[in-house]
Amino acid sequence: MKYAFFIGCTMAYRLPFAEKSIRMVAPHFDIELVDLPFTCCPEPSGVRSFSDDTWLVFAARNIALAEEKGLDILTACAGCHESLSMAKHELDTKPERKSLANEHLSAVDLEYKGTSSVIHLHQVFHDKLGAEEISKKVETPVIMRVVTHSGCHLLRPEEILQVDSSEAPVKFDKLVEILGMEPLEYMDKTMCCGAGVRGQASDISFSILKEKLDSMAMVNPDAAVVFCPTCFISFESGQRIVNRMFGTEFKIPVYYYTELLAVAMGLPEVEEFLAGHRVKPDFPLVHKSAAEQQVQPENTTSQ
Amino acid sequence: MTDESQKRIEELREAAKPCFQCGICSSSCPVFRVAPEVNPRLAIDAVVSTGELTEEGNEWLCAYCLMCDQRCPMGVSLTDILIGLKNLSAAEGNAPFNITKAVESFFTIGVIAPGTTGVERKRNKLGLPEIPKPDPEQIKILFEGTGGLEILEKNLAKESLAE
Ligand code: SF4
Ligand code: SF4
Repeated sequence: MKYAFFIGCTMAYRLPFAEKSIRMVAPHFDIELVDLPFTCCPEPSGVRSFSDDTWLVFAARNIALAEEKGLDILTACAGCHESLSMAKHELDTKPERKSLANEHLSAVDLEYKGTSSVIHLHQVFHDKLGAEEISKKVETPVIMRVVTHSGCHLLRPEEILQVDSSEAPVKFDKLVEILGMEPLEYMDKTMCCGAGVRGQASDISFSILKEKLDSMAMVNPDAAVVFCPTCFISFESGQRIVNRMFGTEFKIPVYYYTELLAVAMGLPEVEEFLAGHRVKPDFPLVHKSAAEQQVQPENTTSQ
Repeated sequence: MTDESQKRIEELREAAKPCFQCGICSSSCPVFRVAPEVNPRLAIDAVVSTGELTEEGNEWLCAYCLMCDQRCPMGVSLTDILIGLKNLSAAEGNAPFNITKAVESFFTIGVIAPGTTGVERKRNKLGLPEIPKPDPEQIKILFEGTGGLEILEKNLAKESLAE
């Protein structure tokens, strides 16, 4: 599988270690990642809130770059995924929007055709590779009780994104289960992390985050697992701010899915990206080093 | 308000019309949950009944989580309407400062959250590839052509007046 890799600003510039984990695991699943000169998706709360047309045309430009190479777009961020998918949906279903986009794009010698699709890593792992392919690569199961957070922009609008059920998502839970974790059901599983208003109204934003963290903490998880760098930052850096604001004591380690996948696969150098985490677990995440693994008798095959 | 804006408001009004004020949107809204003064049901009501923008600034407090949109039994696309309202507000130069700054960054380098200065070094250390940069000239042409620049300048001008 070869994709135009849409890293997204947040992951590239604020969470490079999570990007590292994606690039680490990709070749093991025969995924080739091609980097192109994309702009920001663009992000709906910023550019789209300013001008719907500007948003549409820049999204069309990004997709057109991938089309030129004959590649589908692979997203790693829920926000980018929603933005590009929504734009694509508009471009493909509303001829007048498509011609508007192409009028503008012709000025920079590009054309939106509609030939490339947009797919998120979550979908690649769950829908394309599936449990069987992933479990083949698991060497050292990661034993943890976790809460998953798929993220607003992977779940809604469900009819267009079609990643999982927007009210009762289960696919992400399956994905962590394959790696050996126990996914925990919790009350506000589909609730927002509050990131969307952080800049305009941090008090509201962190109050939302507190509600979400309360709901997670109720089931006492060892960690939270996400598929979006923005949600990651909300939960990880955000919980320290919530603790300051509300006198709470949240200490929930947060992981991007492929980080835990890399750990489960027993890949070397996982410490490199785990070191970037600010909330560390109380227990060793990597239970045995790769070297120790080798001298031990085979004991991971039976299930 | 320009004719264009007037026309846009009429469109938003049409889109909001099926609303029968059930309140499912508000009870699903994470912002409403912690700040009940922000109420999507009332925002839609205001659009339908007066065709006016809701109480100043409220549309900018939407977290764009799409929960209301997903759950509305009448299929009202609240997020489209809220984005429409934001567009109108931005066209008047009333966007919040942080949003204006983010859009300015997008216009200059095509990226909204460039992060800290040390990030290139961090990427290097992790052995990550350099990110191909979009052509600034292309960004300029498309940004200007779609009207983004005019709106940005208006908001920047308001900012500097306020200072
Ligand atoms: S959920 Fe839909 S119908 Fe109900 S109040 Fe909100 S917009 Fe109106
Ligand atoms: S999209 Fe906005 S208005 Fe709708 S539920 Fe989410 S935060 Fe509330």
